[in-house]
Amino acid sequence: MTTIRNLDLAIIGSGPAGLAAAVKAKQLGIKDLVVFERDERPGGILPQCIHNGFGLQKFKEELTGPEYANRYIQMAQAHSVDIELDSTVLEIDPNRNLTAVSEYSGLRNYHCRSIILAMGCRERPRGAIGIPGTRPAGVFTAGQAQRLVNIEGYMPGENIVIQGSGDVGMIMARRLTLEGAKVKAVTEIQPYTSGLIRNEVQCLHDFDIPLMLRHTVAEIHGDKRVEGVTVVEVDTDWNPIDGTEKLIACDTLLLSVGLIPENELSKLAGVSLDPQTGGAYVNEVLETRVPGIFSCGNVLHVNDYVDEVSNQGEIAARGAFYRIKNRMPAREMRISIAGDQTVGQVVPQTISGELPVTFYIRVKRPMQKMALRIGEIFEKKIPYARPSEMIQVRLSKKSFSQMEPSTTRLKVSCED
Amino acid sequence: MAVPEAAPRKHMGDYDVIVIGGGIIGAMIARQLSKLKGRFALLEKESFGGFGVSKASLSQIHLPDFCPPGTLKGKLVREAPTRFKKLAAELDVLYREVDELWLALDPAQVNNLEAARARAESHGATGFEIISPQRIHELEPQVTPKAVAGLYARGLGVIYTPEWNFALIENAVENGVQLHLQTEVIDIAKTRDGTLRLTTGQGTLTASYVINAAGLYADEIARMAGDAHLQLSLRKGTMLIFDKSVSYAVRHMIFGSFSESHSQNIAPTAHGNLILGVHYVKTDNKTDSRVSREAIQQTLKLGRELVPALSEKDMITSFSGILAQPNMSRDGDFYIAPSENAPGVIHVMVGAPGLSAAPATAEYVVQLLGDAGWRTEEKANFNPRRRGWPRFETASIAKKKQMIGADSKYGHVLCRCEQVTEAEILQSIRRGAHTMDAVKHLTRAGMGRCQGGFCTPFVLKHLADTLGIPPTRVTKSGPGSHQILKITKAVAGNE
Repeated sequence: MTTIRNLDLAIIGSGPAGLAAAVKAKQLGIKDLVVFERDERPGGILPQCIHNGFGLQKFKEELTGPEYANRYIQMAQAHSVDIELDSTVLEIDPNRNLTAVSEYSGLRNYHCRSIILAMGCRERPRGAIGIPGTRPAGVFTAGQAQRLVNIEGYMPGENIVIQGSGDVGMIMARRLTLEGAKVKAVTEIQPYTSGLIRNEVQCLHDFDIPLMLRHTVAEIHGDKRVEGVTVVEVDTDWNPIDGTEKLIACDTLLLSVGLIPENELSKLAGVSLDPQTGGAYVNEVLETRVPGIFSCGNVLHVNDYVDEVSNQGEIAARGAFYRIKNRMPAREMRISIAGDQTVGQVVPQTISGELPVTFYIRVKRPMQKMALRIGEIFEKKIPYARPSEMIQVRLSKKSFSQMEPSTTRLKVSCED
Repeated sequence: MAVPEAAPRKHMGDYDVIVIGGGIIGAMIARQLSKLKGRFALLEKESFGGFGVSKASLSQIHLPDFCPPGTLKGKLVREAPTRFKKLAAELDVLYREVDELWLALDPAQVNNLEAARARAESHGATGFEIISPQRIHELEPQVTPKAVAGLYARGLGVIYTPEWNFALIENAVENGVQLHLQTEVIDIAKTRDGTLRLTTGQGTLTASYVINAAGLYADEIARMAGDAHLQLSLRKGTMLIFDKSVSYAVRHMIFGSFSESHSQNIAPTAHGNLILGVHYVKTDNKTDSRVSREAIQQTLKLGRELVPALSEKDMITSFSGILAQPNMSRDGDFYIAPSENAPGVIHVMVGAPGLSAAPATAEYVVQLLGDAGWRTEEKANFNPRRRGWPRFETASIAKKKQMIGADSKYGHVLCRCEQVTEAEILQSIRRGAHTMDAVKHLTRAGMGRCQGGFCTPFVLKHLADTLGIPPTRVTKSGPGSHQILKITKAVAGNE
C-alpha cells in the first residue's frame, strides 16, 4: 500500500530561494513544510561560490557564498525547518502530488496544499551552442569547474580559455588565476560582457586577464585532451570574420555561455513557461498558472544577485500562505504586464493590482539616459542600462489606485 | 604505429580463432564463437569495445530496402529485426520497435520509394506499402505538408549500440572468450607450422584463424595480411541529438532523400530522444571526429525539410562518425571473404547497414570458418543469457521501490537529467566501465540536456574510489584523456 503524506507546503530546492521561502513560511505560521534538496548539503550552488559579495542588501555586509548560505541554514534550524537532503523530487503533478526519492527513506509520496519551485538553473553545455571541433577531455562549464576547484579540490587544467563572459566564467577566471593557472583569454561574442560590470573589473581587469569582446571560439583542437582553440572575431550578426582566426594553445576550455532555468519538474506539473525568461508565468506573489504552485529565484528567471533570489523566496512563501489560508486576492490575474520591443523580459507577467509588486525588468540592448515606464503609473529616468543588469521597480498597493478600474493591460517600455 | 623498442613481448596465448576489433561486428562474432568448442580471443586496441565506428552509429535496425538485389548485405539484413529482438531478450538490452516512413517530397521522388520497395521485396521482405499524404499525416502530424507519398513498413527497431556492444562482449567472456583490451595488432605473420602469429603492443598471440573485424582499421589489418588491395573509402557523417521535450514530433524512422553527401533521416532513439542525420563529407583521416559549424547547419536543414518544427535551440549535442565502405564490392556491398594471400585470415569489411547485418554476419563468418576447414562443434554449456542491471528512470513505481529495497543506492539520483542513480554508476564501473565515457554510454549519466554539468564530479569520484586510483588518473576515454590535471594548492598543501 502506498502511504501519502499530506503537507501544507513542499519546497523543491534548498538554495537561497528555497531556504528563504522556508524561513518566511515558518514565520508566517505554515508549520507542515518540507524542503527537498538533492545534494548532500543545503545551500544549492552557494557552497561552491567562495568569493565574496553576497548579502549586501539582505545583511548589509559582504559575505561569501557559504557564509550567506549558513545565515539561512541557521535561520532554518532556528525555525525547525525540515530539510530532506540527498532527496530528488522525481515527479510533481498539477494536483500537487509529489514523489521524492532518497537513499535513506526510499520512494515517498506526498500531497501538498502548495509547492514552491526553487530548483535554480543549469548551465548551457557545449552541445547546445554547437562549438565545432573535436571532443577531447578538458571542456567544462564554468560552474562545473567551480565545483571541482572549490568543493572537490581538483584543478581542471593549467592553461585556460574561457568562452563567454557570464558571471561564473569571470569569477572562475580569477579563481583559477589565484590557484596558479594561466587564463589566456575570455572571449565574448557580444560587444559587452554578459555578466556584471563589478565582475568584469574585479575578476578580469584587476588580474590583467585578456577580455576579447566580439570574439568567439570557432573550433576546439586536440584528440585526447584539449590542445588549443581557434578564436575568431565576429561581425555584428555574430558571423566569423575571415582572416581573424587566431590559435590559442591551452589544455582547458571553460564555457560560460548562459544559464537556463531548470524547469523540467515544472513542466510535469503543467506549469506554462515564458519563452523570454525560460521560467514560469507568474503573478505578483509568484504563483504560476497552476494554482498552488509557486516559482522563485533562478528557476523563475536568472537573477544577478543572490539577495534578490532570497527576496523572491519570501514573496513566494507569502503567496503560498495566501493560498493555504484562502486569502488570495479575488481578482488575482486581472492585469497582464507586457514589455514592448525594448524590453527583454519582465516578471511578473500578471498582477492583481491589489497587492504591492516588485517588477524585474531586463532591457533588450544597452541603453543610455532612458525612461522606464510602466503604463501610466510609473516613470523613471535611468542613466545607463544593459541586459546583464536587472532593473527592479517596487510599487506599493497605492500606486495602482491611480489606474482606471477597467485596466487589463500595463505596457512596460524603455525609451532612449 | 611505431613499436617502442623496449615493447614487452610476452606471449599472451594460443587460440583457435582470434577476432580483431571489439566493435559491434567483432563483439557479435566473438559471442557467436563462444557458442562453440574452442579457444577464442577478442582483441581491442582501445580501453573499451565499441568506441570507434560503432559508438557513432545511428543505432537503427533496418529492413533490406536500402540493399540492391543480389547483394550479400541484403541477405544478411533481411531478418535483422527478428534476430535483434531475440538477442535483446537473451542479453537484457534495449530494443525499441519503430516503424519506417520514407517520404517523397516531390513527385519525382516517388520512383525512389517504388525502387526501395522492389529492393526490399527482392530480398524476400514483405509488408512495404506506398501511402498517401493523408495517411502520412495521420501517422506523423509534424512532417512537412510537402510530402506527396510515403513508403511505410512496420517492425524496424532502434537500439543503443554501446550498450549492446558491452553486453555482447560480457556474454562472450562469460562463455570463455578471452578479452584483451588496449591491445593493438601491429603485425601478422605466418609461422612454419601454418599458424598465424599476431604481434601487439602488449605481446604476441597465435591462432589458427584470424577474423579481421577492425572496422575503420580493417584496411590496415588487411595490409598486414598481405591484402593491401583491400581499401576503405571514408565519409564523415554528422548527427544531432535533440532534447526529449521535442520527441513528440517524430514517432517513426523517417527518411527523405539520399546522396553521397547526405542521408536524410530523423528518428527516435532507444532512450527517447530524437536523432537527426546525416550530413557527409569525404575524409581520409580516420580520427577526424571534428564537427564543423557548416555540417551542423546542413544537418539541421536536412531535418527541417522533413519536420519543419525542429529548432536549433532543442539540440543538446552534435557528433561525427566515420563510415567506412570497402572498395572491393559492387553496389556498395559488404566484403566478407577469406584472405587471398594469408590462409586462415577472414576479412569482415562492412559499410552501411553493418549494424543491422551484424547478427547474420556473425553466423556467416562461422560458416566461412567451416568452409576454410575448421571443425565447428557446439558446446553444451553455452549460456545465452546475460543480465544487465535495472535502470531506475524507466522502471515503474513498484519496481523502483523494489530496486531501492534491494540496494538503497538506487535511491540516490546522481544524474538529474536522465535520473541515473549511484547504484547504476557503481554497477557499470564494477563491470568494466573504467572511463568517464564508458560510464556515460552504459548508464546515460551525462547524456541528458545538461551534458554532465552536474554529475561529472560524482562520476569522477566514483571512478577514482572504485578503481582505487587518484582522481588525476581518471580519463574521459583512455590514456591521454585525463579529466583533471592536478589537485589544488590548498589540498596539495594538506597532503
